[in-house]
Amino acid sequence: MSDSIFNLNYFEIFSQPVATEPDVNLLKEKNRELQQQVHPDKFANSSDAEKREAMQKTSLINEAFDTLKNPVSRLQYMLTLKGVDMNGETDTSMDGAFLMEQMELRESIADVRSQADPLDILDSILAELKSKAKVLIVEFADFYQRDDLEKSREIVRKLQFINKAQKEVNEIVEQLEDELI
Amino acid sequence: MALLQISEPGQSTKPHEHKFAIGIDLGTTNSLVASVRSGKANTLPDEDGGHLLPSVVQYSADSIIIGAVAKENQVKDPHNTISSIKRLMGRGVEDLKAQFKSLSDVLPYEFAQTDSAVPKIKTAAGNKTAVEISADILKTLKSRGEKTLGDELEGAVITVPAYFDDAQRQATKDAATLAGINVLRLLNEPTAAAVAYGLDSGAEGIVAVYDLGGGTFDISIMQLKQGVFEVLSTGGDSALGGDDFDHAIAEWIIKEAGVNTSELSSGLLRLVLQQACKAKEALSEHSKIAIAIEFSADNKWSGILDREILNSLIDPLIKKSLMSCRRALRDADVEKDQVVDVVMVGGSTRALRVREQVGEFFEAEPRVDIDPDRVVAIGAAIQANALVGNDAEGNLLLMDVLPLSLGIETMGGLAEKIISRNTPIPVSRAQEFTTYKDGQTAMAVHVVQGERELVDDCRSLAKFELRGFPSHVAGAARIRVTFQVDADGLLSVSAKEETSGIEASVEVKPSYGLQDSEIEAMLKASMEFAGDDKDARSLREQQVEADRVLEAIDSAMADDGEDMLSAEEREAILSVRQELEISRHNATETQQLKDAMSRLEKVSAAYVARRMNASVQKSMAGHQVEEFK
Repeated sequence: MSDSIFNLNYFEIFSQPVATEPDVNLLKEKNRELQQQVHPDKFANSSDAEKREAMQKTSLINEAFDTLKNPVSRLQYMLTLKGVDMNGETDTSMDGAFLMEQMELRESIADVRSQADPLDILDSILAELKSKAKVLIVEFADFYQRDDLEKSREIVRKLQFINKAQKEVNEIVEQLEDELI
Repeated sequence: MALLQISEPGQSTKPHEHKFAIGIDLGTTNSLVASVRSGKANTLPDEDGGHLLPSVVQYSADSIIIGAVAKENQVKDPHNTISSIKRLMGRGVEDLKAQFKSLSDVLPYEFAQTDSAVPKIKTAAGNKTAVEISADILKTLKSRGEKTLGDELEGAVITVPAYFDDAQRQATKDAATLAGINVLRLLNEPTAAAVAYGLDSGAEGIVAVYDLGGGTFDISIMQLKQGVFEVLSTGGDSALGGDDFDHAIAEWIIKEAGVNTSELSSGLLRLVLQQACKAKEALSEHSKIAIAIEFSADNKWSGILDREILNSLIDPLIKKSLMSCRRALRDADVEKDQVVDVVMVGGSTRALRVREQVGEFFEAEPRVDIDPDRVVAIGAAIQANALVGNDAEGNLLLMDVLPLSLGIETMGGLAEKIISRNTPIPVSRAQEFTTYKDGQTAMAVHVVQGERELVDDCRSLAKFELRGFPSHVAGAARIRVTFQVDADGLLSVSAKEETSGIEASVEVKPSYGLQDSEIEAMLKASMEFAGDDKDARSLREQQVEADRVLEAIDSAMADDGEDMLSAEEREAILSVRQELEISRHNATETQQLKDAMSRLEKVSAAYVARRMNASVQKSMAGHQVEEFK
C-alpha cells in the first residue's frame, strides 16, 4: 500500500510542509483528528490483527508528534530526511566562541545558589537561552535550505547544548521552589 | 441451531444488541462499580442500597467477608482482616519496608516467610498475596454488576492511579484475570474523572485533575476538546493518600498518650487508626473533636484534636502533593493561569485544608461540586460502554501518557532512558546496543522505570537474556531493543541481534510481581474451591444459549412458520419449544438444558432445511445460473 501511513515522513503524516517552525496548533489539531481514526480504543471489537495495526499506527503518530513538537528533535529529524543521522556521532566540533559562552553560563548556573535572588537570575538565564535558541533555529532554516548539512548539524549540536542547560536550570528552579514551599 | 438465523449479509437478526460492560474503581479505601444504562452512567448499589464497597476483606477458614462487615471486624480480627491492600499491589517485600517506615514494625498483618519476592499475608484461609485479595474485591464488584444488569458482561474497564508503574498495573490486571474479568482497558483514575466531569459540564480547555485518594495521589493536566480528552502530563505519588493523614494523626495520638508503639497490639493499633480517621473526617465539619482511647486498664487517654493541630500534621503531606503539581504543570508546558478548572477527586479532597492549599496553589477556586468518590467509576463506565461499541456517535477519545520514564541498565549501573515520562501512549521505541567483549554471544537486558540516574534508585521491572547470537569482536554485534507500551500503559520488550536476526521477546513481568506459573496456580486453586461457582457459570451460559435458541425459533416461526410447516409439524415444534422454555427457567443442571435444546434441534431439523432452501432460491432469483458456477 503506497498510501500507508508507514510510508510517510513525520511532516507528511500531519499534512504539513517540512519546516523548522511548523504551526503547532495545526499539528495538535491534526494529531487529534488522526487519533480519532486509528487509536486502539476505536478497534476494541476488532480482530487481533486490526488491534495490533491500530497500536502500531497510533505509536507511529505519537512518535511523529513527539518528535515534531520539540525543536531539537524536529531539526534533528529534518536532517535524517537528508540522510544525516546524528545519533551516536563522534564528530562534535563546534566553534570556540560558543563553547566559551556555554562554559561561562555553566559557571553562573553553578554558583547561582550563593546569589541574593537566585530565582530571578535563573529566570533571566532561561530567557536568554530561549532567545538564543530562536536565533539558531532561524539560522538552521537558512543552512538547511541551502543543503549546507555540516553547518546545519553544528547548529543542532548547539541547540542540544542549550537544551541541556535549560534542563539543568529547570532542575535547580524546581529544587529552590521545593525549598520555598 | 445457528441455521435458523438466516439473515441477509449486513443485517443482524437481532435488531438491537446492547452489550453490557462495567467500570470498576478499585480503590484503597473504597471500591465501586458503575455502568451505563439507558444512556446514563451510574454507580451500582448492593442489596442494601450502598454504593461504596469498603475495600476490606476478612478471611476465615471457611468463608470470605468483603465490605462493610469486614471493615467493622477489623479491630476484633486484625490479622485476618485486610484493608488498604492496594498499597501493596505490585510491591516487593523490600519496597514495603521502605514504604511503611513510620509504622513498619506494627503493620497489623503477619507476613509469611517465603522465597517469593511477593509479600504474602498470613490469614486463616492461608497465605494471600495482594493480587489474590484484590481479586476477591473485584469478584464482589463483578457479581454486583451481573446481578444488577442481569446479563453476561462483555468486560470491564478498571481504573488505576495514573502514577502506577508497570508492576502495579500488571498486578491489577492479574487480579482481574484471577477474578474472571475480561479487562477491556486499564484506565488512569484522573482521566476517568475528567471524562465524567467533562461530559457532564461540557467544559473545554485545560483542566487540572487533583486526585487524592486513600492511598494514592495523582495530578493530571489535561486538554479537553470536543470529546477528546488529551493528557498533557501526569505526576503524583503512588504511596500518598488519606491513609497517611490517618497515620500522622495516629502517631500524634500515640505520642500524646505517652505509649510505646511497639507495645501496642495489632487490634489496638487498628483502633487508633480508626479513631484517627474518624477524627479527620469530623474535622471537615467541626473545628475541634474529642478523642478517647483506652490503651489499657490504667491508661485511658483522651484529648482534643483541633484544625490547627491537624493542619500542622498533614501540611507536609499536602506540600508533597503540590510539588508534583508544579512538576506536572512544567512538563505540560502550561502556566497556572491557563488552567480553566481544577477538579477535585478522591475522598481525601474532602479535607478542608487540602481544598484550601490546592486553591491557593492554582490561584483558583477548586471544583468540589462533583461526588469525589463516584466520579472515577462513572468515567470508567462511560469508557467501558464506548469500548464495547454502545457509543453511537463514537466521538469519545482518551489520549493518555506514560507516567514514569522507561529505560535499561547500562554499564556502571546507570539507567539509560528509552522513553521519557509523559510521552503519549501507545508508543514504540527502539534503541541499538552493542557488545563490550570479544566473542560475547549473550546479553542481559535489565528494564527499569523511574526518573533517577542510577539503576538502584529506579524500579526494577524485569531482566531478560538474549542468547545465541554469533560471536563478533567487541562492538560489532548490533542489538536492537524495542519497547512497546500499549494503551493500558503496559510494556512489552523485544530484542533482536541485527546481523543474525536472532530475536528474544518478553512480556515484562515485574521483578517483584507474580510469575505466570504462580497466577496459574492461583487460578487453579480458585477453580477447585469454587466448583459451585463454575457450575453456576456454565448453567448461566447455557441459559443465555437457550434464550438465543428460543428467540431464533420464535422469529423464524413468525416469519414463515405458517407457510413452511403443516399444522402437525408446527404443533410438534411448539410443544418441544415450550419444554425448553420451562427448562430455561427451572433447570438446575446444565445437562437438562442441553438436552432440551438438542430435542428442539432434532424436531426442527426439517424446518431448518426447508428455510435454507427457500433462502438460497430467493437469493438466486433474478440471477443467471452461470453466475453461481
